[in-house]
Amino acid sequence: MVKLEFEHRQAGHCESGVTRNLLNYHGFRITEPMAFGIGAGLFFSYLPFLKMQHAPTTSFRVWPGQVFDRATKELGVKAAIHTFRNPKDSMDKLNEVLEQGYPVGLQVGTFHLPFFPPEYRMHYNMHNMIVYGHNNGTYFISDTLMENLVEITYEDLVRVRYAKGAFAPQGRMYYPTFVPKDIDIRPAVIKGIRKTANNMVGIPFPLIGAKGIRYLAGRMRKWEKNLGPEKASYYLGQVLRMEEEVGTAGAGFRFIYGAFLEEASTLLNQPWLRELSIEMGDNANKWREFSYLGSRNCKKRGKPEQSYDFLADMLLEIANREEKIFKKLALIK
Amino acid sequence: MGNPDNKAPDKVTDDKDLIYTYNRELFYHFDREKGFTQAVHYQNPDNQVIIKQSWDAAEQRLEEVKQLVLIGKASPVAYYMEKILMEVPMLAAYMEISKWRVKRHMKPGVFKKIKPEILARYAEIFEISVDQLRKPDFIK
Repeated sequence: MVKLEFEHRQAGHCESGVTRNLLNYHGFRITEPMAFGIGAGLFFSYLPFLKMQHAPTTSFRVWPGQVFDRATKELGVKAAIHTFRNPKDSMDKLNEVLEQGYPVGLQVGTFHLPFFPPEYRMHYNMHNMIVYGHNNGTYFISDTLMENLVEITYEDLVRVRYAKGAFAPQGRMYYPTFVPKDIDIRPAVIKGIRKTANNMVGIPFPLIGAKGIRYLAGRMRKWEKNLGPEKASYYLGQVLRMEEEVGTAGAGFRFIYGAFLEEASTLLNQPWLRELSIEMGDNANKWREFSYLGSRNCKKRGKPEQSYDFLADMLLEIANREEKIFKKLALIK
Repeated sequence: MGNPDNKAPDKVTDDKDLIYTYNRELFYHFDREKGFTQAVHYQNPDNQVIIKQSWDAAEQRLEEVKQLVLIGKASPVAYYMEKILMEVPMLAAYMEISKWRVKRHMKPGVFKKIKPEILARYAEIFEISVDQLRKPDFIK
């Protein structure tokens, strides 16, 4: 039996929330936007050849695991990260680490998570949550999506840790082992901004970053003609689900990132970052308007209420805004 | 403006025409007056519509494959795969067999000849009995 004193706090995004809550536990106060920004979590990619739930994959964030890995590394926090072939080994190790007094972050699949909201119980393997104790085969869980603390049985926990398919977690567990006393987070903030700026405007590949948003806009114009109204609305719905639903805190993480820039401005004493944070906030609201108007096409079958050209034009405007913001951010010193 | 993370999130009043009210989530908001804020509430109704779209589509796919099974064009493996919302690559990963074998098992002719141990594994993944797998309850 172990039950660590763990403060449950909800978060907009599972992985940066887990990162924040784990670091908070070790006495290092950091906000969710900071964890997300230092972890360089923001991204955009549109991969039409990679289908997820029968539609092209759109992503507003970096590869799973990167936020924790990057944030801890840049902050000089020592962290342990394990994956296991054998489920029993992974559970033994989890018990051992809990008994040593460390809460542990886990990557899990959501389909068999018994406490998860039913509307989200699809095969999504990139969820993150924290285990803070166990007793007689019951594990105590703090999941940043949930309002309250929850529990899971040993069997169910094995099942979600060994969910299969794309991004299978393979029992991945991670936890900070040593958090230095006086961390100067300023260099980490600057590096995080540079990394994200480079991801968004510095990589010459058409499907990612601001270019990726433009590419999606171009494809969207042809959806109705090429796929018919029903499939077009499903494809659009898939973009919106990735933008608004799977733990993005709204607008595909753009709100979190804006909050991060605002905090960075104060911390680094660079007022121009505050202006960009406001631009990012406006940009996030533009994304939200896009999803609001787009969702009307997903309501009922038949003639779409918004033309796909109109929605694509909105995306172009968003792409221009993001390109402008990140080109400025790339120059941070 | 201040940092939203350091303030307790506001509880926003709940809307009546919501579809999903199991759990309140944390969302960020921005306006030029208040800056960035956090609030705990249900997904807004527009976003709930797009969640529902995906479940409706899954239901429709299930109905289509059910018809294929009834006219003998697809095996129950295809039906139950849809039912637990999987696609071929994922089912193959759970079965630990190749994708083309899973695809073959979706042909009614091949399905009849599947070895019992493979059938049992399918049944376990689908969380049904082997009898139910052999003969789904919608087949008279």
